[in-house]
Amino acid sequence: MADPGLAIDFALAGVAVGAAAALSGVGLVVCYQLTGVLNLAQGGIAVFIAYLLRELVVVRGWPVGWGAVLCLLVVAPGLGMLLQLAVFGPLQRRRAAVGELVVACVGVLVLLIGAVAAIWGTTPLADVPALVPARTVTLPGGHLLRVDAVAQLGAVLVIAVALWAVGRWTGFGVRARAVSADPTLAELAGVNAGRVAAAGWAFGSFAAGLVGVLLAPLVLLDPYGLPLLVMETLAVAVAARLRSLPIAVAVGLALGIGQSELSWLHPAGTLGPLLDAVQSNLFAVALLVAALVPWGFVEGFADQGLLGGGGLPQLGRPPGGGRGRGWAAVACALALLTPLALRAGGVRAVLTVPALALILLSVVLVTGGGGLVSLGQGAFAGLGALAAALLASGRIPAGAALVVTVLGLAAAGLLIGRPVVHRRGLVLALVTFALALGLSRFVFEQPYATAGLTVLRPAFLRGDHAFYAAELAVLGAGALLVAAVRRGRLGRALVAMRDHEAGAWAAGVAVPRVKLLVFGLGASLAGAGGVLLALAGEAFDASVFDPVQGLLWFAAVVVAGVDSAVGAVLAAFALVGLDAATVPGMSAVVVGALAAGAGWLPGGLAGGIRRMVAG
Amino acid sequence: MSTDRTDPGTRDGVGRPGLLAGRAVLRRLGGVAVVDGVDLTVRPGRVTALVGPNGAGKSVLLDCLSGLARPDGGRILLDDLDITRAPCHRRARLGLARTFQQVAVFPELTVADNVLVGAEQRRRRPTAPGAAALRVAGALRLLGLTPLAHRPAGDLPLGVLRLVELARALAGSPRVLLVDEVSVGLDAGQVAQVARVLALVAREGAGVLLVEHDLGLVSRLAELAYVLDGGRVVATGPIERVLADQRVRRLW
Repeated sequence: MADPGLAIDFALAGVAVGAAAALSGVGLVVCYQLTGVLNLAQGGIAVFIAYLLRELVVVRGWPVGWGAVLCLLVVAPGLGMLLQLAVFGPLQRRRAAVGELVVACVGVLVLLIGAVAAIWGTTPLADVPALVPARTVTLPGGHLLRVDAVAQLGAVLVIAVALWAVGRWTGFGVRARAVSADPTLAELAGVNAGRVAAAGWAFGSFAAGLVGVLLAPLVLLDPYGLPLLVMETLAVAVAARLRSLPIAVAVGLALGIGQSELSWLHPAGTLGPLLDAVQSNLFAVALLVAALVPWGFVEGFADQGLLGGGGLPQLGRPPGGGRGRGWAAVACALALLTPLALRAGGVRAVLTVPALALILLSVVLVTGGGGLVSLGQGAFAGLGALAAALLASGRIPAGAALVVTVLGLAAAGLLIGRPVVHRRGLVLALVTFALALGLSRFVFEQPYATAGLTVLRPAFLRGDHAFYAAELAVLGAGALLVAAVRRGRLGRALVAMRDHEAGAWAAGVAVPRVKLLVFGLGASLAGAGGVLLALAGEAFDASVFDPVQGLLWFAAVVVAGVDSAVGAVLAAFALVGLDAATVPGMSAVVVGALAAGAGWLPGGLAGGIRRMVAG
Repeated sequence: MSTDRTDPGTRDGVGRPGLLAGRAVLRRLGGVAVVDGVDLTVRPGRVTALVGPNGAGKSVLLDCLSGLARPDGGRILLDDLDITRAPCHRRARLGLARTFQQVAVFPELTVADNVLVGAEQRRRRPTAPGAAALRVAGALRLLGLTPLAHRPAGDLPLGVLRLVELARALAGSPRVLLVDEVSVGLDAGQVAQVARVLALVAREGAGVLLVEHDLGLVSRLAELAYVLDGGRVVATGPIERVLADQRVRRLW
C-alpha cells in the first residue's frame, strides 16, 4: 500500500484498458455528433471485427498488419457506411422517434452478435492476435512499461487531435459541426447531412472495430462477453454527455487506470467479494452513475431528440380489426395448447415458451403500453428467477414462491422505477440498460448471490405436462392483467401519455404515477416469467439473464409488434424454435435483421401484416 | 417582489385576488431569464390577453402557470392556494386547463376519447356514472365536433385538431383556461366559433388567458391585456388603451 512505485506500475498497467475505453468514447461521441444516433451497436461491430481479424490471421495465416488494414480500414468503415445506407438513413429521412433509433441499434447489435455466434460458434477463444506485441521495457526506476499500452495511448491521442484538427480547419469539419448543431438547418444551408452521417458511421465503426481488436487479446474472445465489455465503455461517452472529446479521453483513461489501481487493494472480510466485483466491473458502475446523474439542460439535446418522445410508433387498430385480432388470439391459444397433447419430450422442448412469453409480455406492457423504452426487463426476470431459486432452496412451495416473488418484484420495480421513469427517450433506455448490466454483474454472476442454489419443482409440478399447464395459467393471468391495464380510463391515459406526454399531463393524467405503475407491473410480470424459467430448467442460469439477452428480447417484441400481446407469445415460440431448429444465434440473426430493418418496415412484422390485411 | 415595471395606474388592487395569479415569476433557460419577474392576474369571468413579439416568453410563462415548467423564482397562486410546486396534473385537477401552441392531441384515440381524457382525469372518481360522458357530449356539441366523435384524431386536419384540444380542455370544466395561439391553422369560420366559445366560457365565470397573435381576435374578446417583451411586462391595462400605446405598437 505504502509503496508509491507500485502505484505507478498499476497505473501503467491500466493504460491499455483505459486507452481502449477512451477510444470507444471518442468513437461514440463523434458518431453521435454527426449522426444523432448513440451507437448502441458498437459492441456488435467490435466483436465482429475482432473475430474477422482472428479468422484472417490465425485460421488463414495472413500477416497481422495486412489483416488489420483490411479489417479496420476497409471492412469496418464499409460496414458503417452500409449501416447509414440501409438502416439509419431511411430512419432519419422519416424523422424516426428516438425509440425507433434505439431499436435499430439493438437490432444491428444482436444481428452481428448472432452472426458471430452462428459463423464462428460460441466456444471462447484464447488465441487472439494482438496488433502490437505485448513487449515490455524497463523504465528508469525499475518500472515496467508495456509497449502496446504506449502505442495505444499514442493512437488515442493522435486520433483525438486529428479529429479536432479536421473539425477546426477543414471544409468537412465546418459542415460536420453545422450538422451536429442543427441537422435541419444545415440541410437547408445546402449541407448533405446524409454524407456527413455516413462519415460519422464510418468513423464510429472504425473506432468500434479498433476497440474490439485492442480488447480481444485481454479477454477470452466469445460472442457475448466482448460486446458487453465494449458496451460498458458507454460510460465514457455518457460521462462526456456525448459531446466532449477531451472529457471522453480523460474519463476513459481515468477508469482504466482506476480499475487497475483498485485491483491492488485486496480487502479481506465480508466486503471483499463485493469490492472485487466493483473492481472488475468498474465500467458498469461508472455507466450506472453516469446515466443516473441528471443530464440537466444541455442545449441541443431536445432538438436532436435525445430527450424527445421515447415511444415507438404504434399503428392504430386496423379497420374492422376486431375480428382479425380475435382470430390471431385463437391461433395463438391453439399454438399454446397443442404441446399439452404431445409426448413428454415434445413438451420438454417448449417448457420455456410460456415463461419467455411472460417476459416479452412485460415489454408489451412497459414499452408498448406505457411508451417507456426499458431495456431492463430481462434483469427483472433474472431477479425473479434468483428469488425463486432462493425461496425454493428454503423449501417454500412453488406457488407461494411465485406470489412472494411477483409482489417483491412489483415493490422492487416501484423502488427502482422511482428515480428512473421520469427519464425520457434515450436516457431512459441507457439507465435501464445500465441497471440490467449492474444487476447482471453484481448479482447474477456473483458466487455470493448464486452459489449452491438448487431449484426443485414441487411434487405436483414435477411432471412436464403439469408444469406446462401451470405455466399457461400464469401466462393467462398475465395476459388478463395487461388487457385490464390497457382498457378503460387507465388505458386511455396510457395512450394519451404515449402520444403526447405534455398534453396528457396538462389534461390531468398523473403522468409520473402512471409511469411508475406500469413500470412496477412490468417488473412483476417479467419476474413471474423469470420464476417460471428457473422452474422449467430446474436451475438458475445467469447467462439466460445476460443484458444482451435482454436486448434480444426487447428487439423481438418490437419486431413482433410492440403493442401486440399475441405477437409477444408468437415471438416466444419463434425465439425458442429458431435456435432449437438451427444453430444458437439464429434467432438473434433473424430478430436483429428485422429490427434493423425498422426503417423499411414501420410497426414491425405485425404492422406489415396489418397493412397487408387492410389492403 | 415588485410590480414596479407594470403601469402603476392599472395594477391590480390589493385584496381583490383574481383566480389565477403569477407573482414575480422568473424562469431561466441556459442562464438567460426568459421570463423575468412577471406579475399577472387572470380574473374570473373575463378574457385576459397576453401579447408580445415572438420570443417574448409568452409560452414559457404559460408553461410556468400550467406546471409544465418549474419557475426559478416567484409564486403561482390559484385562489390564494400556492401551487408553485404542484405538478401539472394536480393543477389540471384543481381546474386549470390549457391548450398548446403546437397542437397537443392524441392521434391514436378517437375525437370523443381525446375529450374524455380531459373529462375523466379531473377528479379521482367521477361524481356520478355518466357524468364524464355528459361533459364530453357537451364539449363536442359546443365546438361542433359531434359528427366527428368516432373518427381517430390522427386523421383530422390541424384546424379541427385545435378544436379537439379546446374541447378536451373544456370537458374538465376548468375554472381557468389558458389558450396558446388557438387561431393558428383555423379558417375564418372556425375562428369565429372559437371566439364565441371563449366568450361563453368567460361569461360562465371562468378566467381565460388568451395568448394570441391575431390582434383582431384579441381586441374582440379581451378586456384586459398584458404586453410581454424580453420576458418582462412592458404594458398592461384595458385592451384598447394597451393596443393604442405607442411603445406597444413599435413592437409589431
